[in-house]
Amino acid sequence: MAAKLLPVVKLATKVGIAGGAVYVAYDSGLLGGSEQGSEALQKARAAVPPAIEEWMKYFGLQLPTIPNIEFSPVQAWNSGVRWSISRLSEAPTKAGEMTTQGVQYVRELLK
Amino acid sequence: MSERELGRKLDRCLADGVIKLGTGLGLGIVFSVLFFKRHTWPISLGSGAGLGMAYSNCQNDLRSHYLLHRNQKVER
Repeated sequence: MAAKLLPVVKLATKVGIAGGAVYVAYDSGLLGGSEQGSEALQKARAAVPPAIEEWMKYFGLQLPTIPNIEFSPVQAWNSGVRWSISRLSEAPTKAGEMTTQGVQYVRELLK
Repeated sequence: MSERELGRKLDRCLADGVIKLGTGLGLGIVFSVLFFKRHTWPISLGSGAGLGMAYSNCQNDLRSHYLLHRNQKVER
């Protein structure tokens, strides 16, 4: 009797866990529109540091305080784009200058 | 669409993409471990579906500016 019930119970548990995971994802707006998604991301980012602190207190560990790194991916990307484009716009002039310098150098070598 | 509005919409698209990719990945891992004997294909399916949902949301969001919405009055 128990041997027959066990696979059923296992299947029911698995379906319960999977269904619960899908429900949690749906309920927290992760599968909805783009506004809900970005709201959920903001909430998650705000909730992570206090959650880490609580877990550390629970385990009695003391993580070294993570320095507040002022890194903005948006700023880094924008400055990278500006740098590349300015280098590209200067490239022909620079190439011309380096060519004349190289020619002069070779001429002096050949003298 | 003004540049600022476009920038905001693209930011939302990126954030939404990250969220949906993560969710799809997570659900794919759950299903793979529970039902499909730790094969890789549910994970790929979940991530792909998540990315597809994000793409579709982004597409609708960008197109919505050019559509006439029901709550806008039509002047005669």
